[in-house]
Amino acid sequence: MIRIDRRLFEHFDMVLMLLIFLVCMMAFFNLYSASFPPKGYGSPPYIKQAYFFLMAFTAFIFVISFDYQELHSWNYPMYAVIIVLLVLAETIGNTAGGAQRWINLGFFKLQPSEPAKLMLIITLASYFSRKEISDGYSIRNLLVPALLTAIPFVLILLQPDFGTAMMLGIIFVSMAMFAKLRMSTYVIMGSSALGLGIFAWERVLKPYQKQRIFTFLEPEKDPMGHGYQVLQSKIAVGSGGKFGKGYMEGTQGHLHFLPERHTDFAFSVWGEEWGFAGSVILVGTYFLLIMWGLYVAMYARDRFGVLLAFGVVTLIFWQAVINLCMVLGFLPVVGIPLPLFSYGGSSLMTTMLGLGLLMNVRMRRFQNSMSRD
Amino acid sequence: MKEETGLKEEETGLKLAFKEIEDIEERDEAALDLLKKRLLGVAIVVLFFFVAIVLRLWNLQIIEGPEYEKRSYGNRVRIRQVAAPRGHILDRNGREIVTNRPSFDVLLIQEDSHDIGDVLKRLAPILGTDVTALWAKVREASGNPRYMPVRLKEDIDWKTLAYLENHNRDFSGIRIEVQPVRVYHYEDLAANTIGYLGAISKKELEEADKNIYSGEDIIGKKGIERLREKDLRGQKGQSYSEVDAKGFEQKQLKTVEPLSGREIRLTLDVDLQQIAESYMDAGEKSGAVVVMEVNTGRVLAAVSAPSIHIKEFIGGISLEEWKALLDNTKHPLINKVVQATYPPGSTYKMVTALAGLAKGVIDENTGFYCPGSYTFGNRTYKCWRHSGHGAVNLNKALGESCDVYFYNVGQRVGVDGLAEFAQKLGLGMKTGVEMEYEKEGLIPTKKWKLKSRKAKWQDGETLSVAIGQGYNLVSPLQLCVMTSTLANGGKVYKPQLVEQVVDIEGAIVENFKPELVSQTTGLDKYFKLIKKGMEEVVQGKGGTARNVAIEGLRIAGKTGTAQVVRLAQYRGLKEAVIPYEARDHAWFTCYAPADNPEIAVTVLVEHGLHGGSAAGPIARAVLNQYFNGKSGAKDPSKLVPVVIDPEDGTIE
Repeated sequence: MIRIDRRLFEHFDMVLMLLIFLVCMMAFFNLYSASFPPKGYGSPPYIKQAYFFLMAFTAFIFVISFDYQELHSWNYPMYAVIIVLLVLAETIGNTAGGAQRWINLGFFKLQPSEPAKLMLIITLASYFSRKEISDGYSIRNLLVPALLTAIPFVLILLQPDFGTAMMLGIIFVSMAMFAKLRMSTYVIMGSSALGLGIFAWERVLKPYQKQRIFTFLEPEKDPMGHGYQVLQSKIAVGSGGKFGKGYMEGTQGHLHFLPERHTDFAFSVWGEEWGFAGSVILVGTYFLLIMWGLYVAMYARDRFGVLLAFGVVTLIFWQAVINLCMVLGFLPVVGIPLPLFSYGGSSLMTTMLGLGLLMNVRMRRFQNSMSRD
Repeated sequence: MKEETGLKEEETGLKLAFKEIEDIEERDEAALDLLKKRLLGVAIVVLFFFVAIVLRLWNLQIIEGPEYEKRSYGNRVRIRQVAAPRGHILDRNGREIVTNRPSFDVLLIQEDSHDIGDVLKRLAPILGTDVTALWAKVREASGNPRYMPVRLKEDIDWKTLAYLENHNRDFSGIRIEVQPVRVYHYEDLAANTIGYLGAISKKELEEADKNIYSGEDIIGKKGIERLREKDLRGQKGQSYSEVDAKGFEQKQLKTVEPLSGREIRLTLDVDLQQIAESYMDAGEKSGAVVVMEVNTGRVLAAVSAPSIHIKEFIGGISLEEWKALLDNTKHPLINKVVQATYPPGSTYKMVTALAGLAKGVIDENTGFYCPGSYTFGNRTYKCWRHSGHGAVNLNKALGESCDVYFYNVGQRVGVDGLAEFAQKLGLGMKTGVEMEYEKEGLIPTKKWKLKSRKAKWQDGETLSVAIGQGYNLVSPLQLCVMTSTLANGGKVYKPQLVEQVVDIEGAIVENFKPELVSQTTGLDKYFKLIKKGMEEVVQGKGGTARNVAIEGLRIAGKTGTAQVVRLAQYRGLKEAVIPYEARDHAWFTCYAPADNPEIAVTVLVEHGLHGGSAAGPIARAVLNQYFNGKSGAKDPSKLVPVVIDPEDGTIE
C-alpha cells in the first residue's frame, strides 16, 4: 500500500485545479444551452456530462494517489491492454457516425482510441527518459518509439478515425522533437512524412476525408454539404459579435444550423452566446491551463516528469488548437473535440487522467531533492 | 521514503561512492536543465497559436461580426412576400370593370422537401398534370436558391385545395399560396385601354426598384394597368417567420399585412363603351370609337377594334398566339384610338373653313361654283360628286362636303394658314391622354416639307390638304378633340381617362380636373358658322349623314373618307370589287346636342368606304345610348355583366 505523505496535500496545485474547474463549469453551462431543447428521452447531455465529470474526477484522484515513477513498470502491460481493446473495438465494436469505434460496457461506451492517446504519452515519456542521448536522437534511436506509435496509429486509422490517429502522430512528433532530434533525423523524418502523406492520399484516405479537405480549400463550392458545417460555425461565432447574443439566446445552435453543436462544435455555441468577450475568457483560460502545464514541466523533479507533463500539455494544446481552428474555419473538419469542453465521456476521462498525471508530477516535484537534504 | 532514510544512514560510510553518484546526478541535472530550457521555446509556440486564435476571433466577431450577424439573421428568419390585392378599376358610375379574386397556387420549396421526386410523383395526379411537367418547372428554377418557391400550378380548384390542405403532412415542401388575380367583369371591355398584367420580365426587373419588385411579381404590361402601376400595385406585405436548419418554421415573428392598391375610377362609361364595341364587333369592323365630353375632356368611351382578348394574356401569351396577333391584318394589338393615324378626309374641311373665315378669304355668303372638278395649273382636281354641286356657300359646302369649295378656300389660305388653324383645334400634336405610344399625327407646312422631304411645297398639294388628303394624318382621338374644340368654341382640353383615384382608406388621392391645353379667342362667330354647317350634315336635306339623325336631338357632325391608295386601277370600279385593304377609311365625327354640346363622338372604320353609312350608325347608337339612356330608355338586353362563378372563379 502506498503511503500518502502529508506534504502531498500541501503541494496539491490549487491553481491547476481552479483552471480545470473553470473550464468544466463553462463547459457545463454551455452544454445546457447546446443541448436545448431536450430530446424528450434519456438524460440530457449536460446531466450525463456531470456524471462523466464525477467519474473522471474519481479517476483523477486515483491517478494522483501514486508516484508517477511507478508508471515505468506499468507502462508495457498497459500498452498491451490498450492494443487488445483497439483490436476488440475493430472486430466486435460498434461505430457511431462512421468514425470512432467503441465497446459497449453497459454503463459506459468505451472508445479505446481515447485512452490510447494517453497511453502513448506515458510510453513515449518513459522511453525517452530511459534512453537519454545528449546530442539528440538519431533515426535508429527512434525506431522503437516510432513502432510503439505506429501500432495504435494504424489500428485507429482503420476504424477509420482520422482525427485521433493524427493526434497520435502529432504526439509522437511533438515529444520526439522536444526530447531533441539530430538534424539528420529531421531531414529523414520530413522526407518520409512527405512520402507517407502522398501514399496516404493515394491509398489510405477515404473519399469522405478527401472531400473534407477539398471542401476546406473551397468551402463556397459546397455550401450545403461539408462546407456547410464550417460556414455555419463561422456564422455562429461571428454573429456573436462583441458580447454575444446572450446565454440560451443563440439562434444558430438552437435552430440546429450548427452541426455537432454539443460535441465538436461546442465552442461555436459559446462564441455565439458570449461573443468575443466570452470567447477570449474561455480561450484565455485554456492558455493559462497550458502555460501552467508547461510551468509544471519546468519544475518537475526528473526527466520522466518533464516529458510526462509535456506530453499531457501537448495532447491538450493540440486538441484545443485543432478544434478551435476547425471551428473558426482555419482547418478542415476533423473529429477532434475541445478537451474538457466538448460533450463526451471518453474524451473527458482521457483529459482528466492526463491532468491527473500533470497534478501528480506537480505534487511530487520536491521529493527527489528533499531526499538529499 | 525508504530511499531517503537509507541514504542518510550510509552518508558517512560510503563517501567515495556517494561522490560518484553525485557526479552522475550533476550530469543528469545539467541534461534536465537543458531539456527544461526547451520549454521556453514551447511556450513561445503556444503563445503564437493562441495569439493567432484570438486574432481570428477578433476578425470573425468584431470586424466581420455585423456581416455574420446578418447571415445568422438570414439563416433564421424567412421573409415571405405577401402579394397585395391590386386596385380595382371601375367605370365613372362605380361599376366594377376589373377586380380581384383569390387564386390558390401550389408552390414547392425544394429546401423543405425531404424527397422531391416522391412528392412530385404523388402530387402530379392530384394536380392533374404529368410528373415530367412538374419536374420541368423545378428544373427551370434550378438557378434560384433552394428556399425560393417554384410555382407548380396556379389557380387550383376548391376540391384540390381542400385535399392538399387536409394532407399537407404528406407533401413536404409543398405550400399553398393565395394570390389575388384579376377578374374581368366585362371580359374584353376597353381591353386595349385598360390593358393586362403579366409576369415581370428580366428587363423590367432590372429597371425596377428592387425594394418593391421581385422576380415573381405580376405587373401591368399594357394600358392603364401599366401606366397606373404605381397606384394599382399597392404595397406587399411581409411575413417573418423563424425557421430551423431544416427550413421548418418554428414560430411566426411578425406579419406586415399587405396594403391594397388604389382603386381607379375611370371616366369611361360601361354602357357607352359596350354599345360602341358591340357595333364594331357586329360588323367585324376594324377601327376606333372615341366619346368625349366636350367641356371637360373626359373620355367616356375609347374603343379600338378588334380588341385584344385578355384571356390570351393571362399567364403569358404563347408564341403562336402572339404571332397570330401580329399577323392579323386588323391589328388588334394596336390601340387605334391613338396609335394609328389616318388622313382626316373631309372632316378636315372644318379646319379649312375656319382658316378661310379667320383669314378673311371667305365669309358666310362667299360662293364658289362647283362644276364637279377644279383645275389648278395643268391638273384637274375632282369633287366627289362628279356631277357637281353648282353654286355653293359655306353652309352647303360643309353639309354636302363639296370639295371644289374647299379647293378654292385652301388655295387662297395656303398650307401654312391651314396648319395654323389645325393646330388651334388640337391637331398635329399629342393629346396627352393616358395611353401608350400615342402618335403625333401630321399637319403639313412648307417648312415641314423642306425639312423632312427636302423638297419645296407645291401649291397643288395645298388643294389635297384642304380636303384632308395628302400628307395630313390624324388619330381618332385627335379628331375627337378637334370636334370637341369646335363644339365648345375653341377650348382644347386634354382627354383624360381617370376620374378618381381612391386609396384603401377611402381618401381621394386624385380627382378629375379638366385640363385646358389651349384656347382660341375671338373666333366665336366663325365657330358658329362652321357649327351651323356641321348641323346641316346631319339635319340638312342634302346632308351626308342624314342617317345619323335622332328624333328630338340636334346633332352636328361631319363625314369623311380617307383615301388609302390612289391607284388608277381602282378608280371608277364598283366599291364592292375593290379589295378590302384598298378601300377608303370611313370617318364620322360629331357632337350633340348641337345647340348646347355635351359630348363629341368620333368613329373611324378602317376600309369602311363611306363615313355616313359605315361610321355614322355607330355614332348614332352611342348618342342614342347617351341621351336616351340618360332619360331612362336604356335597353337592358345590351347590358349583360359577366357572371363570376363563386365556386371556382371561372367566367361563365
